[in-house]
Amino acid sequence: MAEIGHGGKEIKERILEPAEAKKRIQGLKQYPIRSQLANEVIGIAYGFFSPLEGFMGKADVEAVCKKMRLKDGKTVWSIPIVFDMSNEEIAQYGVKPGASIVLTYTGNPMALFEIEEVYEYDKKSLAKDVYGTDEAKHPGCARTYAYKDKFVGGKITLVNRPKINEPFTPYFLPPLQLRKIFKEKGWKRIVAHQTRNVPHTGHEWLMKGAWFQTYGELPMDKPYVGVLVNAIIGEKRKGDYIDEAIILTQDELRKSGYFGDHNHLTSLTFWDMRYAGPREAVFHAALRTNLGLTHHMFGRDHAGVGTYYGPYDAHRLLESLQGEINIVPVYSENWLYCPHCGEITSESLCNHKKEWQKFSGTLIRSIVQDGVKPPRLIFRPEVFDLVLECAEKYGFGSPFVDEEYLKKRTPVFVMPPLA
Amino acid sequence: MSEKYPINLWVNEERYEKLQKAGLAAMCQEMLAGLKCIQVYCNEAQKDKILKVFPTAKFDSATTKSIELLPRQVKDKIFDLVVQKQSIDIMDEFLKSC
Repeated sequence: MAEIGHGGKEIKERILEPAEAKKRIQGLKQYPIRSQLANEVIGIAYGFFSPLEGFMGKADVEAVCKKMRLKDGKTVWSIPIVFDMSNEEIAQYGVKPGASIVLTYTGNPMALFEIEEVYEYDKKSLAKDVYGTDEAKHPGCARTYAYKDKFVGGKITLVNRPKINEPFTPYFLPPLQLRKIFKEKGWKRIVAHQTRNVPHTGHEWLMKGAWFQTYGELPMDKPYVGVLVNAIIGEKRKGDYIDEAIILTQDELRKSGYFGDHNHLTSLTFWDMRYAGPREAVFHAALRTNLGLTHHMFGRDHAGVGTYYGPYDAHRLLESLQGEINIVPVYSENWLYCPHCGEITSESLCNHKKEWQKFSGTLIRSIVQDGVKPPRLIFRPEVFDLVLECAEKYGFGSPFVDEEYLKKRTPVFVMPPLA
Repeated sequence: MSEKYPINLWVNEERYEKLQKAGLAAMCQEMLAGLKCIQVYCNEAQKDKILKVFPTAKFDSATTKSIELLPRQVKDKIFDLVVQKQSIDIMDEFLKSC
């Protein structure tokens, strides 16, 4: 049976068999790509970005920027997926409509790029449309301004499967594989938890709250609803938790029994965050539709940065798109600790406002950085212990990204030599 | 009244022992599900200087309105100054040494 993804299109992996791949890339020029583009090649080829079949041409970019749709005018899409090259590279690699090149990553072939278009696009205008600002200090704008001279549009087909390194291997579950797992589990509804964080109990209760909201009127005779933690793995900033700690601690909540196999699963998506706030929320909705999810949690200031977006801007934008996206948004407030209740509760539930003890991921990171073990009501001891273990095993002594980690870490994935 | 921005010095057993020895244990407050903390305060100018001198630090404007993610050795230095001066009003002196 066809697996239907975002925009009502069937999800099809764009991956060649090794023998066919070898034939198709013979004699083509090889162009090495950086990690952002490699992440996006995987997104396209495995169907995370369905219905995209390649990097966008100008008409798609314009439609995305101005109307938040692909060029068909119907399919909602909020963030341009573009491939940039310098004028010199375009000349050197013979990049022109009708030509093909091989994209390489970590020294080996990755994908066939069938070029359809080479074009220019005003970066300032792109930034303003997507991020609502053209300030260079916004990380999404900064990324846009760093793009090279021109964009290249065309279809992408993987010629080689990436080797996902430990400990990430079990968490790389592309859309078709993930959908099969959901069927095996018998889940009728699955709610996405977007994360780039080690979970504290506020996150845990966001998930539990979303699970209740999603369960709705379904019978309780069997577990019909699951939470999918979908961790975004991409470019790191100094001070972030290391990727290994994020993915392993998220899964630890299941392993330690705060959830179970019957209602919780952790996976990852390769993506360099744009911090586009409301537009990134819409992108997440499309991405998680492709993963086979029926519901998606959106908290305050989803995927925002600084003070560029209001806390509920993403909710409002998603509301305006109802009927056009095929995932039900599940909105949530912040969770906090109330000493009067003696438990984690929600701003929307508890009325002991003067006693509330609010906490954030930043605050918890600060406590961990001080070498202090937070109380179990705030941070599960199994998660804390695993954070310290990850620091030793993967982080060169620190659970946070620093210069040494960026230089010496094992990459999340590499391209092996072509078989 | 001008705005005050706290820095949270989280108190583990080791720090609590030092405070007890200095007769300062009463300076702690229970901040988070029983977790002890001492707060020292910055004014606007001090907050800005801290964020400039220590670029990994972050002002949590959304939730806690506090200055977080200062390097551990910096927090240790601030804590030691609190113990030495027996006061939480130490930011001027601390910043002179930065």
